[in-house]
Amino acid sequence: MYALTPMDAPVVDVRALRKVYRVTERETGLAATFRSFVRRRYREVLAVDGITFHIDPGEVVGFLGPNGAGKTTTLKMLSGLLHPTSGEATVLGHVPWRREGDFLRGMTLLMGNRSQLVWDIPAADSFLVLKEIYAVPAAQYKRTLDELTELLDLGPLLHKLVRGLSLGERMKVEFAAGLLHSPGVAFLDEPTLGLDISMQGRIRRFVAEYNQRSGATILLTSHYMDDVVALCRRVIVIHHGVLLYDGALADLAERMAPYKRISVTLRGSVGDLSTFGEVVSSNENLATIHVPRAQAAERTARLVRELGDQLADISVEDPPIEEVIDKVFASERPLAETTA
Amino acid sequence: MIRIYRQLLVAQIQAAAQYRIQALLWMLFSIIRPVIFLAAWTAVSTAQGGSVGGYTTSDFAAYYIALTIVGHLTTAWNSFEFEFEVRQGRLSPKLLRPLHPLHYSVVENLIWKVTTFLPLMLVCLVIALTFQVRWSGEWWHLALFVPSIVLAAALSFMIGWVVATATFWLQRINTVNTLLQRTSFIFAGQIAPLSLMPAALQVISYSLPFAYILAIPAEILRGGVTLERGLLYLVGQAVWLGLSIVAFRFAWRAGLREYSAVGA
Ligand SMILES: Nc1ncnc2c1ncn2[C@@H]1O[C@H](COP(=O)(O)OP(=O)(O)O)[C@@H](O)[C@H]1O
Ligand SMILES: [Mg+2]
Repeated sequence: MYALTPMDAPVVDVRALRKVYRVTERETGLAATFRSFVRRRYREVLAVDGITFHIDPGEVVGFLGPNGAGKTTTLKMLSGLLHPTSGEATVLGHVPWRREGDFLRGMTLLMGNRSQLVWDIPAADSFLVLKEIYAVPAAQYKRTLDELTELLDLGPLLHKLVRGLSLGERMKVEFAAGLLHSPGVAFLDEPTLGLDISMQGRIRRFVAEYNQRSGATILLTSHYMDDVVALCRRVIVIHHGVLLYDGALADLAERMAPYKRISVTLRGSVGDLSTFGEVVSSNENLATIHVPRAQAAERTARLVRELGDQLADISVEDPPIEEVIDKVFASERPLAETTA
Repeated sequence: MIRIYRQLLVAQIQAAAQYRIQALLWMLFSIIRPVIFLAAWTAVSTAQGGSVGGYTTSDFAAYYIALTIVGHLTTAWNSFEFEFEVRQGRLSPKLLRPLHPLHYSVVENLIWKVTTFLPLMLVCLVIALTFQVRWSGEWWHLALFVPSIVLAAALSFMIGWVVATATFWLQRINTVNTLLQRTSFIFAGQIAPLSLMPAALQVISYSLPFAYILAIPAEILRGGVTLERGLLYLVGQAVWLGLSIVAFRFAWRAGLREYSAVGA
């Protein structure tokens, strides 16, 4: 499909990518203004600090990190909006920030909080402009639009002014606009931001289905872990611009959370269980205990032995993904360093 | 490319239709200034017995009407619009597409000029009748005017874009714009026809691009140049256009390296 990328080569290839923003300090007062003409003052913001990863064709990868971690900055570099301060990247075999035509025609960047459409006209008219800009052949355009209309239920929305659409409706239309040219790579930045639960689910199913039908490679950020759990087998976690984890979502808890969660149900009321581990919740006959990962088996055995007949049920699990992520992000320094 | 322009045209005419009133106000505003100067020079020339430095009252009227038309056809808001777009985060979506952002403003620019051209001509006709203008040109003045106004409009447009790129470094470019407008006001033949200006100012005027946008096409339209001079002016316009395109390409590339996609 992409002449420049052999089938097995990564679609997104990022090496030691770094971005430092220079923010002009605003000074007040006349003298300061004059001084700033001569010598400008900058504050540097390190947004992305040398991250390396690659993504294979057709993968759907979740890009996680708290606010300010550098996710959006990375996606902007990968879509060619920003020049990095250092490091290299190729997407579809192109250096993104050279903004070559073949690259731009092969990818899309969708941002949940930004609109790409003209608000004063119906989406259908914007679509026709996009069709010409991307030089989509008429037959392919019709097929794609029909497909998107069906998947996203766009029918009634296309001929209304964009400014009259609700947030959820607009997001569906934005999705269609961003995918009309059938990009092989899609960068989705918070695509479900601010949408209600059912619309989130709708968008989520759409992304999954789009990936299956088109084989497009997708890198997605989201605040909602549900999005990630539903869509991504693989996640990349960054914090303070540094890559913390890159691997299977299923292994994230094992790698990132140093503890397991034991839930016990008792026949009577819960007594003092603090000798078994950190009791995070207990009420009536239910209790949840966090124990160090390595000692999970031994503690469980001890619980069974010492509680004996009192024990009605017991289970040992990884903590839920949200909790793991929150813990990781709560740590000020990269976890990789603190646990080493 | 023609197909892209056609679709952009359809889309943007719709969007622009909502701003018709503003468009008309802007147009009227751009007429007022030449009329004020016309009135002043008419007063001076009447006081001096009907002519100043070879310009009769009617010549002044013809010049300023020509200047109004030229001013209208060479208007370019690019720099203002671009700064606004960058601040609103509307540049980024355009940068993601395989079409240079410049093309959107070509279409906007053309729509503005075409939609306001008729009312403008009506106003000019009223002024012409009021000041009893006689056109003193030859047919080849009109033939020269066509390429001249196209070059002038393109030059004005490209200079607007060069200034627009300053947004990448300065965030706010009102100062640059004001400076440019003041300079253009002095050297583009708005205060007086170039040949009435002091010799030193004339030299500066002919070395800067501004007169090639306003005074020169206006003199050609009025019929106030010889054929050789007219052709020479066209060359001057072409050279400035070439320089502005080169400057733009350079500034654009350098500017994109600085672009931080704020608010987008
Ligand atoms: N245009 C900008 N200019 C200066 N600093 C910025 C800009 N955009 C983002 N930042 C800063 O860079 C860091 C990373 O931001 P961002 O990439 O938006 O993170 P995320 O998308 O993960 O929330 C933050 O500290 C943010 O304040
Ligand atoms: Mg972000």
